[in-house]
Amino acid sequence: MSTLIAKQALRGLARDRGVALLAAILAVMVAVSAFLGWSATQTVNAIYAQAVGWLTAQGAPVPPNPLHEMPPLASLRNLPVYVSFLGAFAAIVIGQALVETDRRAGVLPLIGTRAVTAATVAKGRMLALTVATGALMSVAGLVSILALLTLPIQMGLADWFSLAAALALGWLYMTIFGLLSLGLAARLPGTAAGLLAGTVAWLAITFVLPALTGNVNPTAAINPVSALASVPDMPVFHWLSRLLGPVSLSEAFGWLEARAMGYLPAGLAPRAPLPLLSLGLAFAASAAFALHANATLDQTGGPDA
Amino acid sequence: MPETFSSTAQMATIGLRDAREALRDRFVLVAITALTLAALVSLVTGAMALHGDAATYAQAKALLLKLGKDASVIAAPELYPLKLLRGTIEQIEIMGAVIALVAGYRAAAAERGRQTLALILTRPLAHWQYLAAKLAGGLGLAAVSLGVVFAATALILPLVSGVGLAADDLARLAIVWGAGILYLTGLYALGFGLSLWARSPAAGLIAAFALWLLVVLVAPQIGDTMDPDNQVAGGIYAQLSVPKAEQDRIKAGFATYETIRGGIEQASVTKHFERLTFAVLGIKDSYTGKPLGPILAEKSGDLLVLILFTLGLGGIVLLRPIDPDRLTKEN
Repeated sequence: MSTLIAKQALRGLARDRGVALLAAILAVMVAVSAFLGWSATQTVNAIYAQAVGWLTAQGAPVPPNPLHEMPPLASLRNLPVYVSFLGAFAAIVIGQALVETDRRAGVLPLIGTRAVTAATVAKGRMLALTVATGALMSVAGLVSILALLTLPIQMGLADWFSLAAALALGWLYMTIFGLLSLGLAARLPGTAAGLLAGTVAWLAITFVLPALTGNVNPTAAINPVSALASVPDMPVFHWLSRLLGPVSLSEAFGWLEARAMGYLPAGLAPRAPLPLLSLGLAFAASAAFALHANATLDQTGGPDA
Repeated sequence: MPETFSSTAQMATIGLRDAREALRDRFVLVAITALTLAALVSLVTGAMALHGDAATYAQAKALLLKLGKDASVIAAPELYPLKLLRGTIEQIEIMGAVIALVAGYRAAAAERGRQTLALILTRPLAHWQYLAAKLAGGLGLAAVSLGVVFAATALILPLVSGVGLAADDLARLAIVWGAGILYLTGLYALGFGLSLWARSPAAGLIAAFALWLLVVLVAPQIGDTMDPDNQVAGGIYAQLSVPKAEQDRIKAGFATYETIRGGIEQASVTKHFERLTFAVLGIKDSYTGKPLGPILAEKSGDLLVLILFTLGLGGIVLLRPIDPDRLTKEN
């Protein structure tokens, strides 16, 4: 029965223009990210070549090219950034739409009359969400593969496995916010209230927590290189990093993606000791919240329906 | 509202009703608190990091002097209090923009949700007057929210930096406040317009958020990412120890690349707001300590874009007639 509900929910999502718009933007930006990374790397290499000429003429020591050892996947270093805001926001919109569409259409009381438990309906919506975010990441993956095959980049077998790991992490990260929004939309009956609450949580995680744990400003937080900064060597930042690191999900995600794609600065420690565990626990917590909130959803739709 | 009221009084009535409504459901309070907290978090963490740099410098200097060496070989960290507002401005750029879009959405959704829009339009009131009242409400909300942010900043800045603010500093803050009002009012108009015109206000909000992602996050992020100096931690030129004159010569060879990068950045109103405010506050090193007059003259183009952005969006909202099929929550 959960599968049937998931199918019905997915059919509704497929008709949603907002979701289609965000999916299209994500696909385009993934392609752009590949070109950007490649183009920026080429430019840095050209700058290095010119600097080497000048340094040699001056008789100064020539340092190694800082990008020389970069693996091919580093060209896609903007991918995690776009997943962390375009993908996460698309997941928030999907989570909200899964409940709002039924609520606004007046379908909730109708579902309540069927011989199906509220928990089954909740599981159906969660299944639909995970499939939808999986489809989004599949589109992103397909575009990434096409971009990598098109650009003059040499990919080995290990690089393709790393790309698969990076995409799987992206799906996990997006789905955390989607499940959170699914739960919030069920819990908050006001129009777009779930969307707004989910967006506020995402904003705080993306732009406020990095400032507290590592003095990373908002613009730096969405730059794949600047975001990978060490914790300032002060007791207060070490303390804040220890305290908030486990919930600073965007930093955990950025660190894991940088490691998977090979552009993590040498010796840079994550904010929390086990970043994958942080994401795993956040996934479990948001899934439990989404399940509980949807299983106890007011079937009348609430006062604003 | 009696029909004998002047059009100004009618507009004021609509604006005041919106203000009362916003205060009653605590939206304004929550929005102001969230923006102020985010802005102050960035300010305080920036100040703490700077104090850390100062302490490290003092320790290094003491060690050099103890060893009988020249302490001038290490550069002392410079303290310009307004430079600490980098994170605050960035929070206004991003979080302030979201709050403005949501406020615009609410202004449209509230009327459509309660079916009051159709009722108001039965009164002898021109559409543009009603829309102007709504836009004025958004401008007021932006002015109050940012007023609280900058008032709190002006109070806390001397405490965290240890340096008092001069009249010139306060004037700079006032200019940035004005620029912020323009920026947020434009985004409010965008959120309001899309939520008014869309099939459902929620669809309008999603479209507004999609535009926000592209204009506020993606376009500046592309420009920032394409900067070769941002490809390497610490900067490519710093890592290669290339002096400024040679950097400029090398950069001249990448004029096309830089033109494309600059063009992408300039497509974003957020970047114009940032360039203007970073220059006025001296956050960008090349403007630090410079007098205000020449900075404003140089940045008049960015100010003009901000004004045109807000007037343009406000004008579109005012001139586009209200669709009789979009008076309620769902169509």
